[in-house]
Amino acid sequence: MQQQEIRNFLLNYFQANDCPIVENHPAYLTVQLTIEMDKELMNRPFYWHYLEKTGGIPNPMQLTLITDKEGAPEKLRGETIHFGSPRLHQIFESTKNLSRYIRLYENHPNANRQTPLLPWLCMNVKISYQCDRKRDIFKSIGLQLINGQMVEDFHDRLMRVPLTPKIPDYSFTLSPLIKPKSGMLRIESYLKSAIEMDDHSWADEARERWEKDLELLNHFYEDVNEETKESYEIEQQALKEQYEPKINISFINGGLFYLTARAV
Amino acid sequence: MNVEIEFDSSWQDDFLQKIDHDGPWGNWELFKLAIDIERHLIIPEFEGLQAPKHLPNLTPLPHQLETAKQVIENMNGKAILADEVGLGKTIEAGLILKEYMIRGLVKKVLILVPASLVTQWAQELNNKFYIPAITQRKSYVWDQCDVVVSSIDTAKRNPHRDIIYQQNYDLIIIDEAHKLKNNKTKNYEFVQNLKKKFCLLLTATPIQNRIEEIFNLVSLLKPGHLGSETAFYEKYKRDSRSLNDDEHLKEIVNKVMIRNRRADTGIEWTKRHVETIPIEFSPSERELYDSVTELKNEGDWLQTSSFSVMTLQREACSSREAVFYTLKNMLLKKENPTQAYQQQIESLIKKVEAVQKNSKAEKALELIQTINDKVIIFTEYRATQLYLQWYLKQHGISSVPFRGGFKRGKKDWMRELFQKHAQVLIATEAGGEGINLQFCNHIINFDLPWNPMRLEQRIGRIHRLGQEKDVMIYNFAIKNTVEEHILKLLYEKIDLFEKVIGELDDILTKLEFGNIEDHLIDIFSGSSSEGEMRIKMENLSSMIEFAESMKKGEAHAAAGNS
Repeated sequence: MQQQEIRNFLLNYFQANDCPIVENHPAYLTVQLTIEMDKELMNRPFYWHYLEKTGGIPNPMQLTLITDKEGAPEKLRGETIHFGSPRLHQIFESTKNLSRYIRLYENHPNANRQTPLLPWLCMNVKISYQCDRKRDIFKSIGLQLINGQMVEDFHDRLMRVPLTPKIPDYSFTLSPLIKPKSGMLRIESYLKSAIEMDDHSWADEARERWEKDLELLNHFYEDVNEETKESYEIEQQALKEQYEPKINISFINGGLFYLTARAV
Repeated sequence: MNVEIEFDSSWQDDFLQKIDHDGPWGNWELFKLAIDIERHLIIPEFEGLQAPKHLPNLTPLPHQLETAKQVIENMNGKAILADEVGLGKTIEAGLILKEYMIRGLVKKVLILVPASLVTQWAQELNNKFYIPAITQRKSYVWDQCDVVVSSIDTAKRNPHRDIIYQQNYDLIIIDEAHKLKNNKTKNYEFVQNLKKKFCLLLTATPIQNRIEEIFNLVSLLKPGHLGSETAFYEKYKRDSRSLNDDEHLKEIVNKVMIRNRRADTGIEWTKRHVETIPIEFSPSERELYDSVTELKNEGDWLQTSSFSVMTLQREACSSREAVFYTLKNMLLKKENPTQAYQQQIESLIKKVEAVQKNSKAEKALELIQTINDKVIIFTEYRATQLYLQWYLKQHGISSVPFRGGFKRGKKDWMRELFQKHAQVLIATEAGGEGINLQFCNHIINFDLPWNPMRLEQRIGRIHRLGQEKDVMIYNFAIKNTVEEHILKLLYEKIDLFEKVIGELDDILTKLEFGNIEDHLIDIFSGSSSEGEMRIKMENLSSMIEFAESMKKGEAHAAAGNS
């Protein structure tokens, strides 16, 4: 992420959370946190607890985030933000937690005609291939809950569709034939079979490394006795944790989308 | 494919409940932002380093990046980092740790370092790498914090030890790991029983010297890499003179060890200029020195005490205060001193009192005034240190003292004082580990340490990454004394200042001559006379010359074959 992208991200994040932007400078942002956002980000539960007990006037903080140290006034007090900074990662986490599930309708232009909207289940996931190394794959899957059509890169398609949280006039939704719960299972097994097809030489190689180190270890402890048994077992376990290949599918976010027939 | 797939379905009920209750639903903008973030945080390849992207304020050097990559990609996260002093092993370790954390392969980390470095490590990890490392102060940090820095001495003691053994560490980093070379120690045993999924051992001391040390260190990291203990010693004791075997061993060791040298880093190091400054004693100083030297002919009463004539001689070359301090001790510590003994020492003390000036101190003052910039003075003796501080102050020069025994906070404070307010820092020890003074580029070696490794450490405080100027080293030696002889024998003959110790050690190892440090300690503390010392030194230096010529021959042969 470039500094400019980070700045735009922060601006979007705070605007989406209804925090007034006090100062919008190219090198920094000062935002007035709402009470909710103060609780979300500032980590001062005692203050809020105290306030609620005493009934005082809440005074949420202002936050100044500097994205361009050179361009900001020298005396400006604030937090310097870059891709590795803990504050940014806290905001990343918060973003993910705040909007995990969503339900949206296509805001179609068919103003006077009754338009049916088809239900789609969307799941965005991260697939991680892990041994002593790791790599990730992002997948966005859409499942049409009437005919069972499965679509990849669903998120990118959604980006081209105007969406709204309220059902537009002259629209009606079709009821799903596939229940959301079984939809989730279909996506899960679709993902699993897609993974099966992938190249997994990485896992074989990891097992080879594991095997090799295990041989060395066995040789080292060739005369295992009561005394050395424990260290041998610790080492053996450590090798397993180091090398054992694993695949994790973790959920990022997802939702229900009601779209016109032409949208996808 | 036979890899287990874990599907996280903890969210499903949550999602279904939202569907049943029709909300509350999230905000589309945030939803899209979350996807954006994930796409930025995803690591598309097994290879390569992500850490630099997360560390905009750190510019790692090419050899540091290469090391981090090597450790992760080719050494599977278990390595001995053995760079020469001042090349930034901490940075390398930090990069590796950061990379693993970003990739989500490491969460729980234990960092064991000498007590004096605990705070510094934690600070560097926090400030340079944005890793929330905590120093161990309370026993609850072990299970509640993810990244903990502690000293081994604390960690190995209960209640800590038991709690640590219950933790499931992903990565263990041990600084100054050469201290674990002996597998009979409690520290070794403690570390051996830690579960080491990933592990970094940091050491500045080349470990190719004693075959036993290599074995112990490597076996700690990766048991069996060098075979079982019995098999290893059978092979390498029997054939320990065989060069081929050594080459083979080196190759195996290099699979788990990275050693960057200054020369290979491709960085333009500033030069070292070494100047020996011969100094004449004043008549009264000469008188003192000569009387001390004559003690040798005074029968065997000295042999029975722990003070050697050579110590006194060296002290006489430093300051009368240093001699006085030792003489006082000789009187105090001797049980039932004979009258002759007392008289002897008292007459020496009179000689001390007769000394009116310190010729070296005068020279130092003159030099400091000409340099007119920051200077570090190293001396072996506390008494000399105190005297110099007083003496410089008399002449309007501000100085701060520095000792290895200072606590971390005091060391930092003294460093700061030196950087901002004082012209001179007077140190009795390299302070060994962990003080960096690269803002200064002049060193006066007021007297010389016995051990050339110590000398390298002294110079290493300023001749390191970040030094922008050439480094000036002034060695003081009083003419016609033991000091001058040592300097001639040791430092000039071996050409030691220009070289980095590591190279020399490597040469010696190849020829199975053993560790240079051991040789020197033997020569200087084991010799009963200057004559013996001289002969032994001659031997050592001809061994080195021989080794060097072998090395050149080898290079020549290699070139000839190509």
